[in-house]
Amino acid sequence: MEQANPTRMELIRKSAQIKLAEQGRDLLREKMDALIQEFFRIMQNVSRSRDELDAMADVAQQSLLIALATDDPVTVKSASFATKRGLSLDITGKNIMGVPVPVIEKKRISKSVFERGYSIISVSGRIDEAAEKFEGELDLVIGLAETETALKRIGGEIQMTRRRVNALEQVLIPQLKSQAKYIKNTIDEREREDLFRLKKVKKIIDRKKKAPGDVAAAPPVTPSSIVSG
Amino acid sequence: MATSVNYGYVNARIRGMKSRLLGRELLESLILKPDTDAIITELGKTPYREEIEKAAVQHAGLACIEVALRMDIARTFRKIYSLFKKEMDEKYARILLNRWDVHNIKTILRGKNIHEPSSEILGCLIPAGQLDEATLVELVKQPDVRGVIDLLATWRIIYSLPLTQHFKEYSEKRDLAVMEYALDKFYFAIALDTIRGNTDDDRIMREMVATEIDVTNIRSVLKMIRDRIPIEEAQEFLIPGGAVLDEKRLVLLVKAGTIKDAMKQLAGSPYEFLGQVPEETFKQEKISVFEKELERFLIRKGTGWFFGDPLSIAIAIGYVWAKFTEVTNIRIISRLKMADVAEKIIREELVYV
Repeated sequence: MEQANPTRMELIRKSAQIKLAEQGRDLLREKMDALIQEFFRIMQNVSRSRDELDAMADVAQQSLLIALATDDPVTVKSASFATKRGLSLDITGKNIMGVPVPVIEKKRISKSVFERGYSIISVSGRIDEAAEKFEGELDLVIGLAETETALKRIGGEIQMTRRRVNALEQVLIPQLKSQAKYIKNTIDEREREDLFRLKKVKKIIDRKKKAPGDVAAAPPVTPSSIVSG
Repeated sequence: MATSVNYGYVNARIRGMKSRLLGRELLESLILKPDTDAIITELGKTPYREEIEKAAVQHAGLACIEVALRMDIARTFRKIYSLFKKEMDEKYARILLNRWDVHNIKTILRGKNIHEPSSEILGCLIPAGQLDEATLVELVKQPDVRGVIDLLATWRIIYSLPLTQHFKEYSEKRDLAVMEYALDKFYFAIALDTIRGNTDDDRIMREMVATEIDVTNIRSVLKMIRDRIPIEEAQEFLIPGGAVLDEKRLVLLVKAGTIKDAMKQLAGSPYEFLGQVPEETFKQEKISVFEKELERFLIRKGTGWFFGDPLSIAIAIGYVWAKFTEVTNIRIISRLKMADVAEKIIREELVYV
């Protein structure tokens, strides 16, 4: 424990620190509650999107399987050569309770058959359907990337806030309180000692007053004589 | 009837090849096999043995079957082409097999457009057409789209014509589809031009090509309706020369606005069966269902030619369709078996001829 000066100034300082720490803890708790609420709200979206993504992935795989089986994998691969490789996304950010989360611009990845870069005359509808399903899946993946990143960051912030609250609650505030208690005890002790000493002096003085003849013979009042009685 | 003596020999050979096609029972036994290895073993007992053995050197499992099927189809069609070349004018064989050339050229152009490695492009080629493997390898070696077109032009391969004509437009728009449409239209235009004579063979071939054009146009119309393509742009995607549906009628189909209304307009035509697909297919606008029906129709028509005039091109047409269908069926069985798809669904996907 940090050594504290048992002075009244120090006690006032420690009391102020305790008050500040408790205020901080309450604020952090409020922040944590708000973050948890936001976390569960996003989590509902994420779990819904995940279910959608799983369903879409199944359908896409099924479509691809049929396209590969009927049209030959080389035809499917050849059609895939015609499509654009890159995918550009605009990512900005926003703040949720001080947590920076990404915002991905909702750009539609799904294309019409006329935008895929190949001639519709020679590419079968099965390949088109598989492409369409995978584009839909990609749309969901991008949407999910945004919410999952937000969820991850909010989750991280909740953990950090919880650690801070715990640190305040379990370590700092008890430490400050114990220091304040120590200071208070020490001051009280000192006050009691002073009071006792004063009482003792008073007693000696009173005794001397009662026996004026003995004043010259009485020993002088010293701190050690007060303590030893 | 033209060159019946030559047809006697060629068609006898083709009939011999037809007799080696796998029957329904064998396809059924493949469906009942427990896994891919069992299918490979079973195929090893059929005329696919040689290709399976060759493919098995480098590939295993599903890849082995698919590579073997590709090798087999390329070998078979090149054999037909060489039979025609030796015995008579090969113009009909060219029409039948040049679709693989178109596929290969498109694949090379697509690959070059995105700078795909040559090995990847080569892996997607099927040398079943007029352009043999050596020619395709040389084309793939070219550095870019321009290089491929230039080489095709240098070798005076007719498909360089539409590509050269539309290269400028492609360069401006950076859209390869421009050249692909030109190539597709050119393939059908050349095919129709080659068979405009009055011989029985020309008539048979014309009927087949025109039916294919109809089917292709109906597929395009369905896609246009679903993706709400403006009527003005519709003509760009239509191929002239259909058997039943001319351009005017096709535009009317696009104008119908919904797939259901468009299919209603096909009543009375050979394609009226498209109006009888389940109701939810119209609602979902699922083109693949209509496409499957159209393919069944085309395959039945194509293979039906096998029962036509024995001394005509009909036998070759029938065989090409039957062989193509067989290879597709084996691939469907192998793929779907590997994915553990129910036997009932596998049977639904197959087309029996």
